Amino acid sequence: MRHMLGLKGLTREEITRILDTAERFKAVSERRIKKVPTLRGRTVITAFFENSTRTKMSFELAAKRLSADTLSFSASTSSTRKGETLMDTARNLDAMKPDAIIMRHPASGAPHLLARNFPWTVINAGDGINEHPSQALLDMLTMRDHLGDLEGRTVAIVGDIYHSRVARSNIFGLTTMGARVLVAGPGTMCPPALEERGVEVRHRIDDVVEEADVVMMLRVQRERLGRAMISSVREYARFYGLDLDRLGKARPDVVVMHPGPINRGVEMSPDVADGERSVILEQVTNGIATRMALLYLLLGDGRPALGGDDAAA
Amino acid sequence: MLLLEGARVLCPERGVDEVLDVRVVEDQVAELGRGLAAHDGRRIDCRGRVLTAGFVDLGTQLCDPGETWREDLESGSQAGAAGGFTTLLLSPDTSPVIDDPSVASDVLLRASRVSGARLEAAGALTKGLGGEDLAEMGLVIEAGCIALSDGGRASRDTGVLRRALEYARPFAVPVLLRPAEDGLERDGVMHHGQVSLRIGLRGIPAASEEIGVARAVALCELTGTPVHLSSVTTARSIALLEAARAQGLPVTAGVPARSLVLTDEAVDDLEYDTAARVLPPLRPEEDRAACVDALRRGVITVVSADHTPWSRVEKEVEFEYAPFGAMGVETAFRATLTALEGDLLLCARVLGQGPRAVLGRPQAVAPGEVADLVVLDPCDPHPVRGPFRSKGINEPLTGRSLLGRVHATVVGGRVAYGPIALQG
Repeated sequence: MRHMLGLKGLTREEITRILDTAERFKAVSERRIKKVPTLRGRTVITAFFENSTRTKMSFELAAKRLSADTLSFSASTSSTRKGETLMDTARNLDAMKPDAIIMRHPASGAPHLLARNFPWTVINAGDGINEHPSQALLDMLTMRDHLGDLEGRTVAIVGDIYHSRVARSNIFGLTTMGARVLVAGPGTMCPPALEERGVEVRHRIDDVVEEADVVMMLRVQRERLGRAMISSVREYARFYGLDLDRLGKARPDVVVMHPGPINRGVEMSPDVADGERSVILEQVTNGIATRMALLYLLLGDGRPALGGDDAAA
Repeated sequence: MLLLEGARVLCPERGVDEVLDVRVVEDQVAELGRGLAAHDGRRIDCRGRVLTAGFVDLGTQLCDPGETWREDLESGSQAGAAGGFTTLLLSPDTSPVIDDPSVASDVLLRASRVSGARLEAAGALTKGLGGEDLAEMGLVIEAGCIALSDGGRASRDTGVLRRALEYARPFAVPVLLRPAEDGLERDGVMHHGQVSLRIGLRGIPAASEEIGVARAVALCELTGTPVHLSSVTTARSIALLEAARAQGLPVTAGVPARSLVLTDEAVDDLEYDTAARVLPPLRPEEDRAACVDALRRGVITVVSADHTPWSRVEKEVEFEYAPFGAMGVETAFRATLTALEGDLLLCARVLGQGPRAVLGRPQAVAPGEVADLVVLDPCDPHPVRGPFRSKGINEPLTGRSLLGRVHATVVGGRVAYGPIALQG
């Protein structure tokens, strides 16, 4: 593996290796000195062509805790505002000899364009409506914490499946790991063609919540909704939102997830978001270990990550 | 004088298929026969090769005037000749649009001086191709345009399209439309289906083209104006077309050559390479196979090059931000021959006879006819490689192994493309 562009095409063994590695990196963030020397001298650039707070911070922390030199680049302060093309921006970054670029971009396939043309590692931190692999990996790590093996488990994803890169990466990852994926959401956002990807399309949220080991609520991306996608936010909340009543019909040990940031009162009521079934903040914590694992596996040249024989756990 | 020796001459118009020599004097075919003496002229060795009337394309973008860094009349004309085309019909979507007699006159005057394929021009149906007001169709035809076209723009207003077809009818030139429904096409960047879902790109449903075909057929019946659908690429579009033709409506259709060999999987295989971003979008295998079958059955009578060159400036970007279009004139013959499994006669039909029929300009390989000829090498599959004569960088067939090769192209008796050292 040289790049991490998406979970599509990864094998169960590859995903398991990433999650097992992440498991071992969790401990680093619990120490007083939250740093290992693994990527000392390596240069990691975060290039975000789209706004992000948690993903960018999470990747930067992951790189710093591995002792990489990091610098960040964001489109709002960069020359892309002045009309420079992505390829020209990348040629300039290339001239600075980075080892890896962590990239978020509003256009699907943008990381693939750079991966095809440059010698460094590209990590996709979200491209358009395509994939957000590190998010799905941290989601699966969190699920494993609560459920153990994902084989045979049922994960319900609710919301705008079609336009969600989080949903798409989770669908690829979870089906590869042998989990059953149910989706529900408005007809404009849950195309029946998803069935051919091994996903069960149900539409009614109650039909999926009752069977699920995990309920993953997606953010309503109000800023990204195209024309004629939903009628109103209140109708969305009524038919596709998760509140305590609906949660009451779920298994008592159901795990509730959300990639954040939450629209409280839209896809999820506050009492659910802050409730005892919610693992939303665990997801954030796991994000750092997951991203450390990705950086280590892609850039670490197989060197021991945590000293000794790499049996750090 | 030029002697083309020992070719298998294919002439679908006259039903000729035999090995002959062809003598060209000035701009005409003078004589066909066996063992013609060379006299003092040049010779092209055509043994083991096929000679047929040159190919005709019904909608080439040469971006001239306006965007000549992408292509110009000369480079496009040379690219056409290299692809076996002897006539290219320029699409009106230049800048400015060919919707005015002064633009038409300028383009056609400069077009008369090119060294490769002949260039003809289609005028716009609506002003600025905006789909709102009728263009001065009569004046651009008077200035030399030989067809009218929507320039590949999906029409938004069916009422205007109806009036445009009615208004065009008395001018009695072919009307070319790309069938599509703007509202379904607007947000998409590739065919809507399993591949678009898998790789996270917004899709254009096949319904867009199919509604466009149904609309064009209905308007053809309403207005009585013959219509040529420039690109039909789905199985249902073909069924709609077939029903209309069975009913006797004057509807013909073409299919882009690349759509005969590439499917929507190419967008994934080429890792979001923008050369695969085309309109109509590349379709799934069932549709591709239906197009090949429709050519064999004579439902689709034209293969188009759908040549839309772009430079690095426009195409070396994110897939979602790139413009639609791919090159095509230099690969259309090879793609077609490959899809038709080496059937050179059918190639001669769909790249020559079919488009000539749409233009109402039949041409045989016979004494007295214009010497617009192509010599084809039916050679084994080999990869498509640059450099291309076109200025474009967007050839999605690059690297693909295709049959055939253009050996020489003769335009008006002049060798516009061919082996560097001609004998004699």
